[in-house]
Amino acid sequence: MNGIRLFFLRIYAVAFKEALHVRRDVQTMIMALVMPVVLVLLFGFGVSFDLDHLAIAVADQDHTPASRAVAHALETSSDLRLVGGLDSAADAEQAFHRGDAVGVLVVPRGFAAKLARGEPSDVQLLVAGSDGSTAIQVLAKAEAVIGASAARFAAPGASVSLPISVATYIRYNPEGRSALMIVPGLVAYILAIIAVLLTALAIAREWERGSMEQLFCTPVGRVEIVVGKLLPYLVLGVIAVLLVLAAGAWVFDVPFRGDLWTLAAAAVLFLIGMLGQGLVISVLARNQMIATQAGVLSSMLPSMLLSGFLFPVENLPTPLRIFSNLVPARHFIAALRGVLLRGNGFAELSGELLALAAFAATMLLIAALRFRRRLD
Amino acid sequence: MTEHAIEVHGLSKHFGAFRAVDDVSFHVETGEIFGYLGANGAGKSTTIRMLCGLLGPTTGDATVAGHSVADDPLGVRRAIGYMSQKFSLYVDLTVEDNLAFFGGAYGLSGKHLRTRMDEVLTLVDLRDARTANTADLPGGIRQRVALANALLHAPRIVFLDEPTAGVDPASRRAFWRLIRRLANEGTTVFVTTHYMDEAEYCARIGLMVAGRLVALDTPSALKTLWVPGTMLAVHGAGLGPAARALDTLAGVHAVEPFGAGLHVRVGADLGDGAAVTRALLAAGASDVSVVVTEASLEDVFLAAVATPEGPAATAAGGAK
Repeated sequence: MNGIRLFFLRIYAVAFKEALHVRRDVQTMIMALVMPVVLVLLFGFGVSFDLDHLAIAVADQDHTPASRAVAHALETSSDLRLVGGLDSAADAEQAFHRGDAVGVLVVPRGFAAKLARGEPSDVQLLVAGSDGSTAIQVLAKAEAVIGASAARFAAPGASVSLPISVATYIRYNPEGRSALMIVPGLVAYILAIIAVLLTALAIAREWERGSMEQLFCTPVGRVEIVVGKLLPYLVLGVIAVLLVLAAGAWVFDVPFRGDLWTLAAAAVLFLIGMLGQGLVISVLARNQMIATQAGVLSSMLPSMLLSGFLFPVENLPTPLRIFSNLVPARHFIAALRGVLLRGNGFAELSGELLALAAFAATMLLIAALRFRRRLD
Repeated sequence: MTEHAIEVHGLSKHFGAFRAVDDVSFHVETGEIFGYLGANGAGKSTTIRMLCGLLGPTTGDATVAGHSVADDPLGVRRAIGYMSQKFSLYVDLTVEDNLAFFGGAYGLSGKHLRTRMDEVLTLVDLRDARTANTADLPGGIRQRVALANALLHAPRIVFLDEPTAGVDPASRRAFWRLIRRLANEGTTVFVTTHYMDEAEYCARIGLMVAGRLVALDTPSALKTLWVPGTMLAVHGAGLGPAARALDTLAGVHAVEPFGAGLHVRVGADLGDGAAVTRALLAAGASDVSVVVTEASLEDVFLAAVATPEGPAATAAGGAK
C-alpha cells in the first residue's frame, strides 16, 4: 500500500527532523535527562517524612533514679533528642515559644514512689501543636519510649503493660523509609512536568517561527505531525525514566521487585499521555510563554496534590477523589509502587494500565482533532 | 492548451468586518511569471494563503493546478511549492537536513530524494553549501535554499510570498534570474513583491489596493492605461514653490515630486516640455531643464492607490 508507506515515511521525516532539533538543542537535552535525576536526588535527600531527632525537654520534678531513667530512655532513643532539663512545667511554654523543643515531658513529684507502691503513675507530655504532623509523631514516639521504660521500674505485680499487645510490622517497607514512598511519586511528578513541557514547547516553537505554516503547505497530515513530534520525546522520556529509577536504586536503595515489562508499559503509556497533554496545550496556545505556563500548571498541581504523591488519595474530599482518577500521575504512581515495592505485574496493575492507556488515547485524539490544518 | 494554472473566481476573505480580500477574480497562464503587487496589508499574503489551501475562502473559489482550494486543499498542496514570507528554513538544521525533511514531507525518499536534492541545489548553485548550518548563511543564500526547498517535489506552480524582502540588490537580481529560468522551463510562478523594479520582470501584474484587485495587465499596458500621456522629468532650482503653477496649466495630468526634481505627466500637446518650462520660470523657478522619461510601475502604483476606482478617474481628475 503506497498510502501507508507514505504515511510512515512522513511520520519518519517529522520525527527525524524533531530528533535533529533535540540533538542540537542542549537546553532541551538537559531539561529532559539531567533535570529529573537532579530533582530526584534533591527531593530524595531533602524531603523526608521521617522525623528524626525530635527535640524533647524534660521537666524532672521527682529527681529519683526512676525519673532519670525515663529521661535517659528518651535521650537514647534514635527518634527523640533530649535538649535539656527544665525546672518546672511553666518553662515549657518558653521552650515552645523559642522553638527549642517540640515536646516537654513533665515527671511530677512522687512518680517513683507511686511506681514502687504499684499505683498508677502519671507523667505529663506537653506537645507543641503548631505543626500537626510533628505533634502526632512526638506523641507516638514518646509514648512508646516511656511505656517501655516505665515497665522496667514498675513494682512486681503492678499492671503497667496492657492486656493485649500489638506487634506491628510494616510489610514492603519495614524500616519505614520515606525514600521508598517518595521516589516513585517523584518519578511520576517530575516526568509529568517535563513531558508536558517538551511537546508544548516543540509545537509552540513551530507556530512562533512560522514554520507551522510551511509545514501545513506540505501534504503532511495532522496525525503524522502529532505522532512524529511525539516519538523523539517518547524516547527521551523513556531514557529519563530509566535514569531516574537507576538513581533511586543506587542512591536510595529503592528495590525493584516486580515485572519489568509491566513497568515499561506503564511508563510508555504515562509518557504518551503527558506528551499528548503538552500537544493539546500547544495546539491551543500557539505561543511559547503561554504554553509553558499552562504546561507547568496543568501538570504540576494535579501530579503533586491529586496523585497520592504527598497525600493519600483516600484523604481527599470526595469530588477531588473522583477527579483524581483522571490524573495520570495517580495511576502511574500506583503502578510504580506496585512494581517496585510490592512485586506486582500485569495481573495486579491492569486497572492502572488501562486508565493510563485511556488518558493517552484521549489526549492524542483531542490533539489530532483540534489541530487544524488551516491557519484560520 | 487553454487550461490556466490558476483560476480565481470571486475570492473573498473576511476577518470579522475587515475585508482582507474582496471579490477578486483573475487567472494565471501556465508557465508565466505572475506578479502580485500591493502595499503591506493590501491582501497579498491572504490571497496567497487561500491559493495554497492554508486559509479557507469566505466566499468564492479558486482552482490551482486543477484542484479547488475550498474542496481539495490537500490536492492543491501536493501540486504546489510555497515559500512563505516569514519562515524560510529551520536555522538550527543544515541545508541538507532542511531539504531532507521537506522532501520526506512531500513523500520523497531514498535515491529519488537524493537525486532531487542534487538537482535543486545545482539549480540554485549551492551544491557546496550542503552541510552548512543554515544559521550561518547570509539572507540572499538562505532565500535560494528556501527556493530549492519549495522546488524539491517538482511542483508545477510555485508561490513565492515576498521572496526577496530584506535581501541585497545583487542577490535579488540573482534570485530573479532563477525565477525567469524556472518559468522558461514551464513552471508557473506566482510572486508577490513590493519592489517595483522586480515587478518589471513579470509577464503580468495584478495590483491590490485595500483588498481589491484594481488592475491586471502587462507592465507596459498598465503604464499606458494608468499613466497616459508623456512623463517629463524636471530638474532645476526653486521647483517646490513653483510647482503649484502647473496645477492650473491645461494639459498637465499629474505632478509628483521625484528625487530632487519633479515628474510631470502631460498630454500630447505639451509633450515637448516648452510650456512646462515657461510656466515654472514664470512662477520663480530657475535653471529649469526638462527631459522626456518613461513612466515607471511606481507611477502606476501611486496612481492606482490614489484612485482605486480606475484610470479614467485619474485622467478626468488630472485634466483641469
